[in-house]
Parts: sequence; structure tokens; C-alpha cells
Amino acid sequence: MSNPSDPKPPRKGLIRRLWNGFWSPTGVISMGFLLIAGFIAGILFWGAFNWSMDLTNTEEFCVSCHTMETNLGEYRETVHYNNHSGVRAICSDCHVPHEWQYKVKAKIMAVKDVYHEVVGTISTPEQYEEHRLKMASAVWRKMKASDSRECRNCHALEYMDFTLQETRAGESHQKAIDENMTCIDCHQGIAHDLAPGYMEEYQKIVDEIAGEQSAAVGAPTTIDIAAIRDYLAIGKD
Amino acid sequence: MLGFLDFLGTVGGNILSLPGIVGLALGMATRNWIVAVILGAGIGVVQMLLFGGMRPTHATFPEYAIAIAVGIAAALVGCAIRHKGATV
Repeated sequence: MSNPSDPKPPRKGLIRRLWNGFWSPTGVISMGFLLIAGFIAGILFWGAFNWSMDLTNTEEFCVSCHTMETNLGEYRETVHYNNHSGVRAICSDCHVPHEWQYKVKAKIMAVKDVYHEVVGTISTPEQYEEHRLKMASAVWRKMKASDSRECRNCHALEYMDFTLQETRAGESHQKAIDENMTCIDCHQGIAHDLAPGYMEEYQKIVDEIAGEQSAAVGAPTTIDIAAIRDYLAIGKD
Repeated sequence: MLGFLDFLGTVGGNILSLPGIVGLALGMATRNWIVAVILGAGIGVVQMLLFGGMRPTHATFPEYAIAIAVGIAAALVGCAIRHKGATV
């Protein structure tokens, strides 16, 4: 029994009391109540999180920044914006993976776009052109490394009827299958204009990725982009 | 090699995916730190196989390493929660 003359213990700080309360067993709420409430809270939180994430996938969201005007204009001239079938691929279809962990990664990495919008890295047409190759290079590297994963969400070489395609396209796609090529090997300019020196830049990416892969598996792998383009007899797209 | 932003994105993606969430839950299922580490590493590998399109060679070594590391870290946090917040 405590003695009334004993000095009172010092009152603990707010954070300490909250911490202790958080880890103390509840005396007024049942286990079932906690489980059901936690389950409902989890659904609400995850639903809201996923919904917010989906909002950032809309074209309106992507082009709401001033710096996206140039590439939006270029994209609107392409077959991915207007075509005979009426199927449209918007920004996120090509730039945001469907797989959850890669999608979250893309969203986190996109924070740099907000940063550059704020500091005005590409706010003038001159600045945009100055950075065009570097920006394109980053996207090509990602696509090459992922075997054009986002292209393949809609397109599959295996499902193409080459007899319905133009002769050149059919032959090129057959070559792509035979030589284990990926979409971005030929279609670097499919949605945005190409910068001068893009072929050299893409060859550099191909060589670097081949070097990383051969270092990982011990076998050399390389693709000669100039030879592919010579074969296809194309300049871009 | 992963750039810094690439690294941050990969870690964030794993925290909000199976290694982070299920790793935490699996860690909370045991009081044994070693078992928690094994479960966390296991869920890191499972995530890469499941969401990497079932192509183990498609994901790079750093991606596997980060998924496993995040899985282990989450499972250890889960195990610590079990120690702190439960008597069984």
C-alpha cells in the first residue's frame, strides 16, 4: 500500500504515454471488433490509395504540367492518338507498367518530373530540345531492359498476321521474332520526335545493356542497330 | 547498375508490394527472428517470380537483392511487433 507521504512519480511525457497506450492491451474492445475494424480500415485505405494512384495515370494529369506540352503535341500526331480502330494509347499505357511493384517504382521515379517542372529545367523550347535526347535515352533504356514490357501489354509478335501487314512491316516483324529483337529496337520515334544523334545514343544503350547481361550470365549478347535500320531501310518510327 | 532514383523507386515499390506487406504479416506470425528472416527472404523471391511474369531471368540481380532485403526488413519489423505487442 502506498504511503500518502511518498513523493508522486514524475508524470511521463505525452509521447511516452501515447507509446505505452498504443502497446497496452485494450480493456474495452473485443478481439473481434478490432479485427473487423482493422479489416474495414484496410479496405478503405487500400481502395483510396489505389484510386489515387489511378488518377495519376490519366492523360489530364500527365499533361497538366507546362513542360508536357511539347511531347503532347508530338504524340497527338501519331497513330497511338488517332487511328482507324479508335483505340487510343495514352501516356500511362506506354510509360507506366501494369505490374504493381514496377508501377509504384515508376510513380516514385516520376517525382523527378515534378522537380524539373518546378525548377524549370525544360520550360522553354530550346531547353526542351537540349534535353530531348537525354530524356528519350532514359525511356529507351527502360524499355530495352524490360523487353518493351509496356508495348507488349497491347502488342504481341506472336499474334500478328503478317499477311495483313505491309510487306516491309511483315518482314521486319518476322525478323524481330527470328533475331529475338524487342519493339523499341526499331520504334524509338513511335510517339515523340527523335533528336539528332539518336541512333548512336540507342546503340550505346544496347551495348551497355548487353554488357550488363553478358557480365551477369557470362555470354556475350549484342544487337547491331545500324544493321537493323539498314535492313529495314528506315530513318525513324 | 541501378541509379539512385532507380534504387529508391525499387525499394518503394517493394515496400508497398508483397515483400513489405506480406513480409510484415509473416514476421508478425512468429516470435523466432530466424524464421522471420527466412519467411521475409522467401516472400521477396516469390514476389519476383509472381510479378516478374514468372520469368526468373527477366529481373536483374539488384532487383532480387532489394526485394529480398525489403522482405527480410519487413519481417524483422513484424517480428518485433509480435514481441512488443503480444504475450504469446
